[in-house]
Amino acid sequence: MTKCDLCTNPAEFHDVQITNGVHKTTNLCRKHAEEAGFNLGKIDVSIVLEMDSLKMKESPVALTCPDCNYTIAQYKETSLLGCPTCYKTFANQLKHIISNVQDAHIHHIGRAPAESKSINRHLEVRRLLKQLDQAVNHEKYEQAADIRDKIRELHDCGEQHED
Amino acid sequence: MTAGNNMKIDPVKNCPFNRENSPFADVVLSSRARLARNLDGFPFVNRASLSDCREVASLVKHICDDIQEKEDLEWVNLDELDNLTTELFVERHLVSSTLAHASHPRAIAIGPELSRSVMINEEDHIRIQSLRPGLQLEEARKDVDTLDLRIEEIIAYAFDEDLGFLTACPTNVGTGARFSIMLHLPALRIIKDLQLVRNACEGMSLAIRGYQGEGSKAIADLYQVSNQVTLGYTEEQLCSVIANDFLPSVIKWEREGRKTILENQFSKLEDQTHRSLGLLKNARMLKLHEAMQCLGNIRLGVCTGLLENVDLPTINKLFIEIHPSHLRWEFGRDIPDDKLASFRSELIREKLQKC
Repeated sequence: MTKCDLCTNPAEFHDVQITNGVHKTTNLCRKHAEEAGFNLGKIDVSIVLEMDSLKMKESPVALTCPDCNYTIAQYKETSLLGCPTCYKTFANQLKHIISNVQDAHIHHIGRAPAESKSINRHLEVRRLLKQLDQAVNHEKYEQAADIRDKIRELHDCGEQHED
Repeated sequence: MTAGNNMKIDPVKNCPFNRENSPFADVVLSSRARLARNLDGFPFVNRASLSDCREVASLVKHICDDIQEKEDLEWVNLDELDNLTTELFVERHLVSSTLAHASHPRAIAIGPELSRSVMINEEDHIRIQSLRPGLQLEEARKDVDTLDLRIEEIIAYAFDEDLGFLTACPTNVGTGARFSIMLHLPALRIIKDLQLVRNACEGMSLAIRGYQGEGSKAIADLYQVSNQVTLGYTEEQLCSVIANDFLPSVIKWEREGRKTILENQFSKLEDQTHRSLGLLKNARMLKLHEAMQCLGNIRLGVCTGLLENVDLPTINKLFIEIHPSHLRWEFGRDIPDDKLASFRSELIREKLQKC
């Protein structure tokens, strides 16, 4: 029988942690396990996977990207994300993935884009239309009216430019 | 033959490999730079609806029209393009096989000589690419950078201050830049020193692949080397790792290897060169793999001075022109698969008639 890591008594608590593919095993007797804050139930083997993925698997509502409704499970199937916002939504999970595929680099030091001009207006209208849709769906009509005015302003501004 | 639509460019006549005297052409066939970009406010292509894809394509077309005078890009809608021309673009690495066979709205904007191109709605909304003969990686980087700057003057890219340019796949995030070179390393294979190159790649986070890129095996001793990492370095640094840290040693090893073979295995080299030339000049049916390998062998013969009446651009172009769609472009689009070997040998005999 496996002995406790801290004394010679038989181990009753066995913990296997797998982090980034590396296994770490802990074996403790009842006394040392309780001292370490583990609550020993009937099952004496617990496999604690990386917390992020465990939470994700057990969570009844999987984390979903608010912009494209993508889930991390879909990323795992395709290795592709759904939209730029996915990088923020799944930041915790992607941190490890990006670090792994990018040789432990996690910060961009290359070129940043200069501020763009004309089509920004188009994208702003697109963004506002989406907000308008959400406001109407949630019956926030005052907010919807504000958004509609902003869209009109942008639209008028665009027409003046084209003239 | 011309393409089914109103495309003005002739993909066969317009080839960056037409030029003589490319830098380090004995070892480096070509240099390629590619930037992956996405438009802010749109889902990535794999998640985009058909109308999103149409909108992205229409915005990028608008930009290409705007910069037309400076960049001379011709817009081609891939769903309006005939199969043969599409496949020909795949063989020229202008369009990925995935993009060619997709059904969503997608396009390509191509510059003169087909050396610069912008793929629209591939894995990312925009993929800017430049291909140059020989070792011209820094020049290719500047090509894509210029195009990139012109595009971003007009439209906002998906960008995060911490992670850089956001791409559909996290393997491209950051600079979104992929620099690659096509190398001809026959001597290192013969003297069994290819492991040196593989070790150098591993030490510098570079990927080494076969002629067709990802997942392909080496044909004709041609290898593609590219940066694996796109984050944590500047575009210039990524380019420099290949051009200045990796390549000088590899060019030196390959050239030394060729000298060693000339000195110690002359008869074997002479036999391999003339045996391959004989086959290329006399065979009446040549399969693609066999023809590629023979062309690789006579390329080594040219570089070691054993063959004089054939130039490197001719061989470099033949590597491309003997692929199925190029043959169909040249000899007729209805050629069945089992007749390609005959037309391949005919084309090679014609191009090598002087030697």
